[in-house]
Amino acid sequence: MRPHLIALVSGLFIVTTSSLALAHHSFAIEYDATKPIEGTGTIQKVEWTNPHMRIYIDVTEPNGSVTTWNLEMGSVNSIQRRGWKPSDLKAGLKVSFKGYAGREVRTRAAIDVITLPDGRVFKGASSAPDAPPSSVP
Amino acid sequence: MIGSAASLLAQAQAPADFPPKATGEFTPTAPPEIANRPTPRMPDGHPDLQGPWTWSGAKAEGEKTEEKPNELPLLPWAKALKDNRKEQNEPYLFCAPMGILRHNPFPWNFIQSTTSKGPGTIYMVFENGGGGAVRQVFMDGRKHPDPDDLIPTWWGHSTGRWEGDTLVVDTVGYNDKSWLDSRGTPHTDKLHTIERWTRTSYGTLVNDVTLDDPVTFSQLVQLHFVAHALPPGQELMEYVCVDNDQYGVAAGLENPYKGKGFGLEVQPGEFIKK
Repeated sequence: MRPHLIALVSGLFIVTTSSLALAHHSFAIEYDATKPIEGTGTIQKVEWTNPHMRIYIDVTEPNGSVTTWNLEMGSVNSIQRRGWKPSDLKAGLKVSFKGYAGREVRTRAAIDVITLPDGRVFKGASSAPDAPPSSVP
Repeated sequence: MIGSAASLLAQAQAPADFPPKATGEFTPTAPPEIANRPTPRMPDGHPDLQGPWTWSGAKAEGEKTEEKPNELPLLPWAKALKDNRKEQNEPYLFCAPMGILRHNPFPWNFIQSTTSKGPGTIYMVFENGGGGAVRQVFMDGRKHPDPDDLIPTWWGHSTGRWEGDTLVVDTVGYNDKSWLDSRGTPHTDKLHTIERWTRTSYGTLVNDVTLDDPVTFSQLVQLHFVAHALPPGQELMEYVCVDNDQYGVAAGLENPYKGKGFGLEVQPGEFIKK
């Protein structure tokens, strides 16, 4: 499937991390709250798995190349308990997303929000208690 | 295909802010009108301990349910080891069981089995924190095995008895592989725990725990935890941690247990070498 996508925009917003200094769980270990990321792309694959759901999103860069983001969400069990179903997040949907880059691998990011084509917003997807507050109120 | 999926989504009636913001893992708890109901009872009159239960409920407090982790009376070798441990290496993050005190928002349950001879073994099943293992609490009056022949395990050997409405669980035979909190507080295979489980209402289950590990602590440790029942109809789900475990890759972390397994980094009582 050939994606029709908007270019990735790299955010420069700096998150205040005073609370993260006290963090003791896996968000701060793996992800960098000072490196927010966002983009728009087409869902290539959704893995309804543990310990984390993962959503792979193809984003076309300005030069035409395609970057596949590997975005970590919470446990599939928690996401089911929040009411999300496989019919809500499907391959082929064009979505926008925000999150935080991996400390070493930028394209492995923790998801903050995903906005679906119908306007519904999937918020607070990160599983870690020390994740930054969602950027969506 | 895209168009049909999108139109189906557009027909969905969910509000724009569905689901509610909930950073972290999420498990619902029973509302007050249900949680405040009396303690349910088994046919033999003992409390029915079936939940399912969660420690931190809908607020996803996670590790915050650990009580006074920095005030545990660690002996110097154990404190030095704890201080040397890195939270990125906690065994739970590598799909191991969380250990006796570790609490997370994922639900768990008691199963009070019944046999032809009456009430039987009580099982504890964990959606997540058990690492796939099931705890057994033997209720037939047996003793613990001879210490010389007891092979240490993650959940140890547990015997139980009722004291009034409280289930008292006595456990020995733990291995030394779990951390007592995410900060790396250790214990040894000399750990002996006594748990006192009391369901005070439909929605509340109290666990008063005594830790006795004279190799690790300078005195007995007493802790108090409260679990909350899930709403009726909520069930445990399958959770296979190794299914799609990509922990550490985003940060370039190594697995320190690869090739040697879990366990204390020093002999009990020995100071870690810097």
